[in-house]
Amino acid sequence: MDKKFTNVLISLVVVLALFAVVMFVLGAQEPAEGALFNFSVDQASVVSRFVFVVIGIAIAFGVYFATKSNKAWEVGTREVVWMAIGAALYAVFSWLFNGTVFVVPSLSQVSLRPAIAIPMFFGYAFGPVVGFFTGAVGNMFGDALTGFGLSPQWSIGNGLIGFVSGMWMLFSDKKKSMDTVLYVSGALAVLATLLFFMNRGEANMLYFDVDNGIFGDAQISLFAGLAILIGFALIFGVRTFFKNEDVATAVTWGMLGNIVGLLFASLSDIVINGFSLAAAIVGEFLPAAGPNLIFAAILVPMLVVAYASTRRQSGR
Amino acid sequence: MLVAWRYRKRENSFIQSFDPRAWLIFYICCFISTLSFWDVRFLMPFLAIAIFVLLTSGVKWHEIRRAFLFIVFFIFFFAILTFLTGRGGSEVYEQEHLIREFRASFSILGWTPVLKVTIERAFFAVSQLVRYSCVAVMTILIPYSLNPALYGITFKGLGLPDKFAYAMDLTMRFIPTFGRDFQLTMDAQRARGYELDKISGGIIQQVRKLGPIFVPVTIHAIIGSEDIIDAMDLRAFGVGPRTWLDVLTYTTRDRFLIAAGVVLLVASIGISAMGFGAFWVPDALVRLFS
Repeated sequence: MDKKFTNVLISLVVVLALFAVVMFVLGAQEPAEGALFNFSVDQASVVSRFVFVVIGIAIAFGVYFATKSNKAWEVGTREVVWMAIGAALYAVFSWLFNGTVFVVPSLSQVSLRPAIAIPMFFGYAFGPVVGFFTGAVGNMFGDALTGFGLSPQWSIGNGLIGFVSGMWMLFSDKKKSMDTVLYVSGALAVLATLLFFMNRGEANMLYFDVDNGIFGDAQISLFAGLAILIGFALIFGVRTFFKNEDVATAVTWGMLGNIVGLLFASLSDIVINGFSLAAAIVGEFLPAAGPNLIFAAILVPMLVVAYASTRRQSGR
Repeated sequence: MLVAWRYRKRENSFIQSFDPRAWLIFYICCFISTLSFWDVRFLMPFLAIAIFVLLTSGVKWHEIRRAFLFIVFFIFFFAILTFLTGRGGSEVYEQEHLIREFRASFSILGWTPVLKVTIERAFFAVSQLVRYSCVAVMTILIPYSLNPALYGITFKGLGLPDKFAYAMDLTMRFIPTFGRDFQLTMDAQRARGYELDKISGGIIQQVRKLGPIFVPVTIHAIIGSEDIIDAMDLRAFGVGPRTWLDVLTYTTRDRFLIAAGVVLLVASIGISAMGFGAFWVPDALVRLFS
């Protein structure tokens, strides 16, 4: 085995070990309100949750294995620092905008979670490894700071958001790959929306009622159910009408990352929590993925343009 | 510039007299042990440990006051919320024994608010209060007691490779830094008339209006990273196995602390697995209200 392959393998094993420690050692408790970090994990389902962490990491490793000669996998000083910055920013923004520090009002059950733009942008700008670390570790620290407790498979799902956002680097034909991504994402968005119309009575399990401190009691609203199509339309608009190819790449791959990552996390709850397919897709996936696409379409372009401008000025 | 957690070296501090790895291992053992129990009687020794650690930590009241009061408020708030609503307790107990029922004299859209005071709810709230107090008291001391300069070597000492240990080290160091940057940026934008708390409009408008906070903080962090990258490159980061400025070595008392933590953990898990320490209410009270 060559050195780079061994390094990546060791890195992924370390991430797995980190999750194992967090889930089995730190996670064996009820939510700890008031603690600085809260790493609680439901122990009744901890094994199946861990299996999904393994599956998520295996997906990342499979993609790496198929394209291991690509430069996108190199991890040097810059990547280490960007990983740390991305994870810290994601944790801080998640904490600030979770509804307990800044109570930004929800609109028809769609809470503002601008933090999700961070793993998408870091994945796009700095590659899949940085994106994965940013999403996974940032979400873990963000959850711990927030005090909601940990859902490790959702941390891996967030890692996959950043990971897939950086996968554009693995393709030589940027435009062709973007079109394929757009078709695949569009098809998944339409399928999920169809499932929503067939199951209008499902509860929005991600909706946090700030006033009552309660998760997931309200029936999913029409706007939350359709948010993924609205987000897709916005991204399609950015892709079609923006002449900036970097922006189009970032939002398109960010959209796929968002769909893949959150689909992975919500489907895992079928096994972990015994949810039905409808509950997982309509109750969890749509309320999370739909609004995220809206943030991707608006905040990611802002970051890409600002970053490009900074690079031009600094010459790096 | 990095902003650290509120750490400083304290004379005669019990926590700081140990190797940070030993202390973290003991803390984790204590943490899990505490949360293995719901029985208030079993939780009392852990509360005693937590109070002992707090009183011997050397952290002054004026340093910890804000964070401490904030956490105490949250613990009380959630304990009272649990008591009033009964949420959360249903996973621990199945049957409730009513002490008294309070029914509101008014109705809202046909719904009459009812407060049921039961023995189980009351004891569950007390158990929750004690459990979280133990955990919170010990957790809150970590940033005040663990030297940020030792984060990296501590993670390395716990088994992580250099790059990951350093990335985790940086992540923990950056969190308070970016929290401060966010505050500075928000203050600067407020001076220009921007109010995050008062953003209005449709969802797209609202998201767009987050840009003036979101973009400067992120881009400033990335620009600032260049200095750190340069500094690390100049020191040949990643070229070979990393050496750390500080060297941690276990002493006898550190090994004793780790052993004490592990014994506590094994004993707690064993006791818990044998069925002891589950949620408890006094039999006399149950008989009284049956």
